[in-house]
Amino acid sequence: MKKKLLTMLSVLGTVGTLCACTSGQQPAGTDAPAAASADATADTAATDSDYEYIKGNGKLVIGITYYEPMNYKAEDGTLTGFDTEFAEAVCAKLGVTPEFQEIDWDMKETELKSRNIDCIWNGLTVTEDRRANMDFSKTYLINKQCVVINQENASTYTDTASLSGAMLSAESGSAGETAITSDANLSQASYTASNSQQDALIALNAGNYDAIVIDYTMALSSVGSGDFSNLVIVDGIELANEEYAIGFRTGSDMTASVNSIIDELIADGTLETIASHYDGLTDLYNAAVK
Amino acid sequence: MYLLLSSETNQAADFLSVTAKLAGGFKTTLLLFFLTLLFAIPFGLLFACISRMRFKPLRYLMRAFIYVIRGTPLLLQLMIVVYLPGIALQKPITKWEIFHQNVPLAYFCGALFAFSLNYACYFAEIFRGGIENIPKGQYEACEVLGMTKTQTFFRVILLQVIRNIIAPMSNEVVTLVKDTALARTVSVIEIFFTASEILRLQFIIWPLFYTGAFYLLFSALLTLLFGILEKKLSRYWK
Repeated sequence: MKKKLLTMLSVLGTVGTLCACTSGQQPAGTDAPAAASADATADTAATDSDYEYIKGNGKLVIGITYYEPMNYKAEDGTLTGFDTEFAEAVCAKLGVTPEFQEIDWDMKETELKSRNIDCIWNGLTVTEDRRANMDFSKTYLINKQCVVINQENASTYTDTASLSGAMLSAESGSAGETAITSDANLSQASYTASNSQQDALIALNAGNYDAIVIDYTMALSSVGSGDFSNLVIVDGIELANEEYAIGFRTGSDMTASVNSIIDELIADGTLETIASHYDGLTDLYNAAVK
Repeated sequence: MYLLLSSETNQAADFLSVTAKLAGGFKTTLLLFFLTLLFAIPFGLLFACISRMRFKPLRYLMRAFIYVIRGTPLLLQLMIVVYLPGIALQKPITKWEIFHQNVPLAYFCGALFAFSLNYACYFAEIFRGGIENIPKGQYEACEVLGMTKTQTFFRVILLQVIRNIIAPMSNEVVTLVKDTALARTVSVIEIFFTASEILRLQFIIWPLFYTGAFYLLFSALLTLLFGILEKKLSRYWK
């Protein structure tokens, strides 16, 4: 225990000094001593209930990035989205105030561990690798991956076979990338990783790629609107699916508490109603729950 | 350092494989760095000369261009180079004949173009400052001695200009090392992109911080090099 604590402190110390020398973009490095002490208390308090800790704070700090239709700013500037409404409903039952905190998606595990946030609730995909760093709630949506192309190519690209010679992209490390590499036809195509799904969309729109593979929800909300009006989803291509769940700290008793609230919200139809507010989400909700 | 950073599982292989991966990314970083210098220095000189020309329209045009480049973020310039040809001209950069359908090459060249132009403008201002700092008396003295303009520039002025610009240039060059990290936004797989990819795929965070060691080491080399250069040049005046 003591040894582990010492290792942790030295890790943070090293990282802190490293960060102080570099441009210090990472929240974990901005004040290493504070982070170190916070982590130390987190470690000693591991036996305490995370549920009590959050109830005691009176608020649930929810890590998000702005993206439609999960958590995004409506035209009047208020935060809305499926996950936003869902979180508000769960927090009302929990008796705490939801506090939405924008995070750097790449730093979500650190944010969660350092208690800057209490959970990640942002269309988070369940993966086996992620289980090492967090506990997942029950799956509430099943998201599909889909192929998006420019409208003028609609007659050229109709299935994965016709895409085997195309220039493809997906977000680096995303489910879309996995879908490409695990598909017999798509893996033949020339593939370039993008920095984000948005970057992939912009590059596709510019014609830099012939097709991209992104989340179905992301595609539904972006394709056909604004400057993406010339983009279309290729119908009838089935790619690997992904499950969405809420991420809590490892070993947290919040997972069980929130799971039972989710069951209540499913039973009384609240969640289905929330899903019906957003295009295409009813499909994803039914896939997960029914 | 890895002993400190790795707390729980299978480390030795991890540290080595991460180092190898990051080194692979750093190769691209270095390539972008050196090629940018290779293009930006001569173009910087050219831009400096044009912005000192007596022919006013060209001079003002050059200065306006430098103003635009220096007045906008490099990040924006990168996006303009990579996306605008496709959006505005229907000529996507990845499909230009010269790139032979090689997307990474197209993106790298796009990034190189933006970096070179951006740094050429900064260098141009440094060069211009270095030239204009030479006292008028020196030109007059050369004229009295009957030297031609070319002789004056290469035999009297140039070395002094180089001495003048060494410090600001070293500043700018070290900044370039770190600015290369911006290239990841346009899919250039440099060291920072590699580190965030490791994070996204393997969920380990420390490689992100570890990239700092690569940048620091390389900046140290550059600082040393510029230190030596500065000493060598100052010998002639002391």
